[in-house]
Amino acid sequence: MSTEKQNSRPALSHLFFWFMFAQGGVITALLLPVHVLLQGILGPLGLVTVADQHYDTWVEVLGNPLVKLYLLVLIMFAFFHFAHRIRYFLNDLGFHAARSVAAEVVFYGGAVVVTLITIWILLTTAPMSFG
Amino acid sequence: MPVDWWTRQRHYFLYMLREFSSVPMALWLIWLLWEIKRAGSGAAHYYPPRSAVFVAFSVVVLAFSLYHSYTFLKLAGVIIRIKVFDRPIPPKVIVATMFATWAAASVVVGFVLWWFSR
Repeated sequence: MSTEKQNSRPALSHLFFWFMFAQGGVITALLLPVHVLLQGILGPLGLVTVADQHYDTWVEVLGNPLVKLYLLVLIMFAFFHFAHRIRYFLNDLGFHAARSVAAEVVFYGGAVVVTLITIWILLTTAPMSFG
Repeated sequence: MPVDWWTRQRHYFLYMLREFSSVPMALWLIWLLWEIKRAGSGAAHYYPPRSAVFVAFSVVVLAFSLYHSYTFLKLAGVIIRIKVFDRPIPPKVIVATMFATWAAASVVVGFVLWWFSR
């Protein structure tokens, strides 16, 4: 009984990180390219008007609670995905320490830290408004 | 295994490129986070992102991001198994649905970013 319990622990954490990895992969795949295209290329080049090109419109969009929630979901899941991928990428490059428990703590802990920073930034930057 | 094993075959190289795509995408999202943070510094201190270096960086990130989207959404056809009335949905249909969702999501996000800019 106790052996079963012990064995189920790593499996559960694996399940959780695989879930976060897969969801993060899908969310990043569906949502990131349009952000990079508009906010990183077309907006800065002046080819399309984008919210973050003006202070007022950027604060307005960031003040919307649904936008805050959306950005939190996007960034949180993306970083859990990145943590998993970069860990395996380093392992494939020959840095086998990347698969150690310590590396897991550093990489997934990093994703947690980014999530907490995101929450803090979203809550302290633009005042919430439904307008 | 030699460290440069992934440079010996195109397939392995593309696999590593796909894994590496996380790095530029993470850097771009950290920039986005910084961009959100800057909105809190007040109108006088805000300057829109317009530098050529930033655009060049975004072009590189977009290439990696598109590669990630293409490979990851295509993978869905291999991983996802759904049955409707006891008949499995063909992988091609699942992949097509994922790509259609990608297009729809891009239109919605793009519309919101444009709508708020008016």
